[in-house]
Amino acid sequence: AAAASSATISTDSESVSLGHRVRKDFRILHQEVNGSKLVYLDSAATSQKPAAVLDALQNYYEFYNSNVHRGIHYLSAKATDEFELARKKVARFINASDSREIVFTRNATEAINLVAYSWGLSNLKPGDEVILTVAEHHSCIVPWQIVSQKTGAVLKFVTLNEDEVPDINKLRELISPKTKLVAVHHVSNVLASSLPIEEIVVWAHDVGAKVLVDACQSVPHMVVDVQKLNADFLVASSHKMCGPTGIGFLYGKSDLLHSMPPFLGGGEMISDVFLDHSTYAEPPSRFEAGTPAIGEAIALGAAVDYLSGIGMPKIHEYEVEIGKYLYEKLSSLPDVRIYGPRPSESVHRGALCSFNVEGLHPTDLATFLDQQHGVAIRSGHHCAQPLHRYLGVNASARASLYFYNTKDDVDAFIVALADTVSFFNSFK
Amino acid sequence: MNTSSSFKALASPPLISTSRPTTKSFPNPRFTSRFSPKPITCMRDSLNLGSNPKAPSPFSLATVSVDAPLGTKTSDKLRILVSEFRSLTEPIDRVKRLLNYAATLAPLDESARISENRVTGCTTQVWLEIKMDEFGRMRFKADSDSEISKGFCSCLIWILDGAKPEEVMGVRSEDLSEMNVGVHGKEQSRVNTWHNVLMSMQKRTMTLVATDVAHQRGQRPPHQHDLLFKYVNGSYMESSKVHDYSISLLPLYYDFII
Repeated sequence: AAAASSATISTDSESVSLGHRVRKDFRILHQEVNGSKLVYLDSAATSQKPAAVLDALQNYYEFYNSNVHRGIHYLSAKATDEFELARKKVARFINASDSREIVFTRNATEAINLVAYSWGLSNLKPGDEVILTVAEHHSCIVPWQIVSQKTGAVLKFVTLNEDEVPDINKLRELISPKTKLVAVHHVSNVLASSLPIEEIVVWAHDVGAKVLVDACQSVPHMVVDVQKLNADFLVASSHKMCGPTGIGFLYGKSDLLHSMPPFLGGGEMISDVFLDHSTYAEPPSRFEAGTPAIGEAIALGAAVDYLSGIGMPKIHEYEVEIGKYLYEKLSSLPDVRIYGPRPSESVHRGALCSFNVEGLHPTDLATFLDQQHGVAIRSGHHCAQPLHRYLGVNASARASLYFYNTKDDVDAFIVALADTVSFFNSFK
Repeated sequence: MNTSSSFKALASPPLISTSRPTTKSFPNPRFTSRFSPKPITCMRDSLNLGSNPKAPSPFSLATVSVDAPLGTKTSDKLRILVSEFRSLTEPIDRVKRLLNYAATLAPLDESARISENRVTGCTTQVWLEIKMDEFGRMRFKADSDSEISKGFCSCLIWILDGAKPEEVMGVRSEDLSEMNVGVHGKEQSRVNTWHNVLMSMQKRTMTLVATDVAHQRGQRPPHQHDLLFKYVNGSYMESSKVHDYSISLLPLYYDFII
């Protein structure tokens, strides 16, 4: 167990990092872009997919493509089995007590909208309060704005503290009997900070409020145990955790899901349909109207298998190490401002750094890094405009790592960034 | 605010080179040693584009000898620019060329950096100021907090500044994608500055035309949300909810609501 938890694993006579060991599984990483070796540092936007996931998708379409839940023939039964097995895999991955607590959605955004439109519209009243932070992704702000406009509920936003993380003390102060929901991220896609979800859940439940966790940046990178967190809702996206696009999931506690009305109407989600009314299926089918993304769900199951095969504790420990390395290297460059908390013994950042270089636009940096050096980073507001506004900037650059990245990637990025800054400064 | 005279200064027709340029070596040793750039030539180097003569450039500049006639068509300018960028085989050289053009972009008054002039949809901040001069020609000024976006704007302004409204409306974003610079791919993207700035130029041109026509007819100018354009009989026609502004002659290539 000790060896398995080490960020550097031993294979026979040589010591190989996790990143180096798994790179062979990601064919996409072994290519040149614009004449340079690709350095992919945009996994917070979307992750790359290992061969096992691609094979699962291919196998589905090649050998048992069929619709689920409604056919009695062999292919349909096989597809249904694999589809529901994927649901069980996801449930086990986040330690849900029952696979029926997993609702497949198109992505995390749709999962949040599902909760907003279903639970939100039927539970929020004028004067009720929903607590968010200024660091939320737009997908965890806009649905609540829409719902608050429809219901008269009030949105309350927690700002950052001096360490540039959402102020947990202010959050606790904001929670009151008026609070009906706390909807927050687990790990910030910009600040790389994490919130103490277990504590927040206790505070919220004390006043009868529910908690929704946007776990898009945590589920792919660390052990997430929904029973331990005790959150009421949790959402994540497949494509950020080595799975395909077009599939994500909502975890919801059984009693809550049972109490919620449908979000979308159509096939799959009904019990009986009459001309003047319908009765609805039990969760999760109630929330999965229409033919789902079958192959994608099955391939998500393969991604879960792949991640579990490596071990989430090992992935997390490795990412803490290379994330710290990235932070240290990046912060050593002049005129670089990294957003979010400084890493320390007690503060573990996610393996990403959002940053700006004084006097240079992040999009210019990202363009030059791509076209001159083959380094893929993100620039813009990362779907977090309120946060950027709070930080006093319009945009930032973001380098984000996953377990298939190595310190070599970080080194190549740092050299390329220094070169890029030098280039732009050369004609100022 | 910019005065109309400042727009007139930009109206000087560019002198377009079609000759094979000669190049000088890059003057910055740091740049030369790091990037070993290919010699970069620039067909627009001798053009009067309302450029900032004080703006330094890290690039080798070409000498050019053949001028385009006054009143060179927008389509010809577009073709020249596409040809120029397509001659650069390395992506980074196309970006560097864009940066070169960024340095030639005339400054925009601080007073024009207002939300009404913001081009939405870009990952960078872009401000676009549009006027119609006394000859009915469109005048554009732009600025950005990104050097590369400024380069895009500089090229678009070179193509479209002084053009007739119908010429502005006739440019398609896919024509620009032929330049193959910046964002990869030809399809519309949230980060496609070409597309976003061009769309803004065209929408606001249409609004100015409609307003001008309404003024000539003594009618109330339309609210921009009242203008709806539809494809009819091979061309796009305006089906305004309020007035006929005779904009149907403008050849649009897509539906949009101003």
